[in-house]
Amino acid sequence: MNFDETLDCKGLSCPMPILKLAKAMKALDSGKVLELLGTDPGSKNDIPAWCEKTGNEFLGMEDEAGVNKFYIKKA
Amino acid sequence: MSDSKNGAWRQLWSTFFEKSWPMWVGGILLATLNICLFLVKSPWGGSGSYINWGQNLYKLLGMFHLEGTQPITLHLYGLLGVMTVLGAFAGALLSREFAIRIPPLGEMVKGLIGGILMALGCTIGKGCTVGGFLSGIPALSGGAIFLAIGFALGAFLALRYLLWEMEKLPKFGMGKSCTLLAAKGKGGIWQPLLGVAVVAFLIIGASLFYKTSGVLTWFAIIGLLLGLICQRSRFCVTRSFREPFMTGESEAPVAIMAALAVGLFGFTVIKYMGINSGFPGGVRAVATTWVNPNFWLNGLIGGTIFGIGMVIAGGCAVGTLWRMGEGQIKLWFAGLGFTLMAPISVKFIAPWFLHILPDSAQKAVFLPDSLNYWGAVLLLSVILIFWYIFVKWNERTGKFSAI
Repeated sequence: MNFDETLDCKGLSCPMPILKLAKAMKALDSGKVLELLGTDPGSKNDIPAWCEKTGNEFLGMEDEAGVNKFYIKKA
Repeated sequence: MSDSKNGAWRQLWSTFFEKSWPMWVGGILLATLNICLFLVKSPWGGSGSYINWGQNLYKLLGMFHLEGTQPITLHLYGLLGVMTVLGAFAGALLSREFAIRIPPLGEMVKGLIGGILMALGCTIGKGCTVGGFLSGIPALSGGAIFLAIGFALGAFLALRYLLWEMEKLPKFGMGKSCTLLAAKGKGGIWQPLLGVAVVAFLIIGASLFYKTSGVLTWFAIIGLLLGLICQRSRFCVTRSFREPFMTGESEAPVAIMAALAVGLFGFTVIKYMGINSGFPGGVRAVATTWVNPNFWLNGLIGGTIFGIGMVIAGGCAVGTLWRMGEGQIKLWFAGLGFTLMAPISVKFIAPWFLHILPDSAQKAVFLPDSLNYWGAVLLLSVILIFWYIFVKWNERTGKFSAI
């Protein structure tokens, strides 16, 4: 998937991935896509839920070699 | 025929081990098991495990005169905690979510500090989020309400710190991290196979305790289930106190309310009926089970320290146990800090603190003594309803939420 920025949250546990995601999304321009790399199993629920709540678009998740890649498009 | 048969089994497996369970389902199941623990002997708690583990460690090192400490395998909560970690380990394996997740150094430091603060908070405040609150509210303890206010205050302060740290010290939680033994993509079939073996091994292990005591056997089996359910539903008391100040989502607080409501019903039945009270002074002893002398400032101060610790660590006493089983190394450091500090605080710090606090600020308040059972249950139910209204209103308006 194409993306504009990447955010490394590997090894981090709740709540750090969501806090970092919220900060990174603030700096992103509308329509750009962020890739988040994470290993916390909780992120699989938390990131789509956060996107729904904040109105950003959750584009999907890929599971690769134990690292989850999340794609989020800024509203 | 055989296809649809396989499909049914596949569906059953998928329900339990492919997606995580809604947190409120976890809450209701955990509260039911908590009632079972009370029926067997005494309710669920998290901090007692670390205190026992730490006392065994210092006993081994010959420090602090702890010769009288019960071994972990004979101590109800020492054993319950070990089984919770192993149950979560099994749950993570069965759902292919196990991996050794090594965070950057700064996160491990935060885990350690968070664990130390939790050890101080629960020994000073006489209860953690599970024993003092998730069991304490159903136990009709007045002090539990003040512990909860402390947890919320501590969670708010620690979240402010985390936001400040991200702005001012962005490098602190960054750096090298590494993940080992993860189930890759659709592979990693070894994890569920090992998970089944771990569950079988633990059940056989638990049954061996029957020679010593049936109570230990039940604590071992229930501990295993608590860990498994916590991991599958990602049941997190920390989250329920932190989230209203963070994203505002209400899933976690509602799950805790579900657990409290079920627990309140079951504990009230046990206490009102005086179940298992057939010993001298038994009726009063059962009624006041886990009504700790922490009303009101005592609970508030201990709860605040604990609340700060749990948000910095990323899990309360029980949240740390199940995340340890899932392979999160940050929480291993939290568990280490908790284990190292708890016996020291029990022996030196908490007694000193409680000595300077006036007696009127550390009373055991069993709510039915002043309100009778109906009034106590009504008061706590009204508090739950107002809490529900608050989190739902806050979810909609974001008035208290930082992000």
